[in-house]
Amino acid sequence: MSEQAGSVQVRGLWKDFTLQRGQLTAFHLIRRSVRRSDTQPVLHALQNINLDVRPGELVGFVGDNGAGKTTLLKSIAGIYTPTRGQVTVRGQVGLLSGLGVGMVGDLPVCDNIHLYGSICRLSRSRLDALFDEILDWAELRDFVYEPVRNLSAGMRTRLAFAVAMRTETQVLLIDEVLSAGDQRFRQKCQAYFESLRQGDKAVLIATHDLDFVERNCQKTLWLRSGQQVGFGPTAEIVTRYREDAS
Amino acid sequence: MRYDAADRNLLRQLTLSQYKLKDQSSFFGFLWSFLNPLLMLGVLYAFFRLRLGGEIENYALYLLLGLVVYTHFTNSTSLGMRALRSTRELTTDAVFPKELLVLSTLISSSLEFFISMGVCLAIAVIAGVPITLAVLWLPAIIGAQLLLVLWVSFLLATVFPFAWDIDHIYHVFLRALFFITPIFYDISFVGDGMARRVVELNPLSFVMEAVRGVVLEGAPPPAAELAAFVLLNAVLLITTLALFRHFEPRFAEYV
Repeated sequence: MSEQAGSVQVRGLWKDFTLQRGQLTAFHLIRRSVRRSDTQPVLHALQNINLDVRPGELVGFVGDNGAGKTTLLKSIAGIYTPTRGQVTVRGQVGLLSGLGVGMVGDLPVCDNIHLYGSICRLSRSRLDALFDEILDWAELRDFVYEPVRNLSAGMRTRLAFAVAMRTETQVLLIDEVLSAGDQRFRQKCQAYFESLRQGDKAVLIATHDLDFVERNCQKTLWLRSGQQVGFGPTAEIVTRYREDAS
Repeated sequence: MRYDAADRNLLRQLTLSQYKLKDQSSFFGFLWSFLNPLLMLGVLYAFFRLRLGGEIENYALYLLLGLVVYTHFTNSTSLGMRALRSTRELTTDAVFPKELLVLSTLISSSLEFFISMGVCLAIAVIAGVPITLAVLWLPAIIGAQLLLVLWVSFLLATVFPFAWDIDHIYHVFLRALFFITPIFYDISFVGDGMARRVVELNPLSFVMEAVRGVVLEGAPPPAAELAAFVLLNAVLLITTLALFRHFEPRFAEYV
């Protein structure tokens, strides 16, 4: 196994969110620091999640809206701190939570390639080297100096994916980025995910697209209301999930 | 600092994008951002020239330098405070040290400050103010101002997600700061009582007086005081940055 291989281990993970009534103010802050016993309603967003993702594995997260898929991805990414339990990540983490997060509509395509590429953890020299490749993959060579706000939704998705797929992090977390785009775009994406299966990244994908999960993911985690219903081979878990939904 | 090549590239790109969005890369873009202190200069000069400015040589330039220092402090700290929220998507949906969001905002707004200081120097030369070697102290004084702006911004950015009304409280404070900083008056104007102590304790007063000293009077700043100022602000920066990093895992939940 190479030193660049990524893996994820989650043990007994709980994540609670304090439910706020309105915006927090300086008064709330002072009151809470004085009255430590001041209790707030709590949402148990994740409850006792256990998971292992080895290098080269693609793992799908399935479940209804609000099941906790995004919260789990963000907890693994280190954006949320676990309330209890442990998340162990080997390798650098990249999170694609929606395509094009951080892209600026008023800036041209060329600037956004550099900006979004840097958000996807690519270095300047790497982006310079990949610039033409990204433009060609996104089929936007004629729009280099066009502000991104003038592009169609499909073009923006292509641009974002063309940049994001070059991310070199060893652990890749993808949150529902596959719903947009036409058939041709999906085919190009499919080729990318097939290439991921040959590598040694650990890839975790939250999606509602069960066909995609069946095609690409070796294992699947099924979440319901923050609880782990099942984790195992994709064929078994997706079949149970489909039966449960019907 | 713990930045790798990807972090440094991200800081550069975030700064560039903000700079371009403010249209500061063009001459007219800069002119608009310089218009605010110029307008204030016009009003203050018209009202205070005879009474407060009567005994101050080069009063217009004295005012301009004060306004440029004050405007940089207020703009940068206000933008720094809101940095996590104004780029909420990046705070909640991307993996990188979030201090880069605050830093990029400060670098972007400080570029404007550097250009403004250059313009002030050019105006001083045109106005016939003798520029001496003391002006070589300017980078050190500007560096001291940046340290001050940085730690105040990190402190405010840390508190802001947990207490959104700090924005309003801070703007009331900035209004008061305008009057307890010798922008349009000389420090001797406030007498020798408590008011003078407040003005002297105000760190912005020190920077302002030092800038005016080197540009208008050709006098180097008191080296020991400048060193103490830099040291104190560096310690405060290290402290507030540590505080920011401590609370960083909770920003995404509250911002």
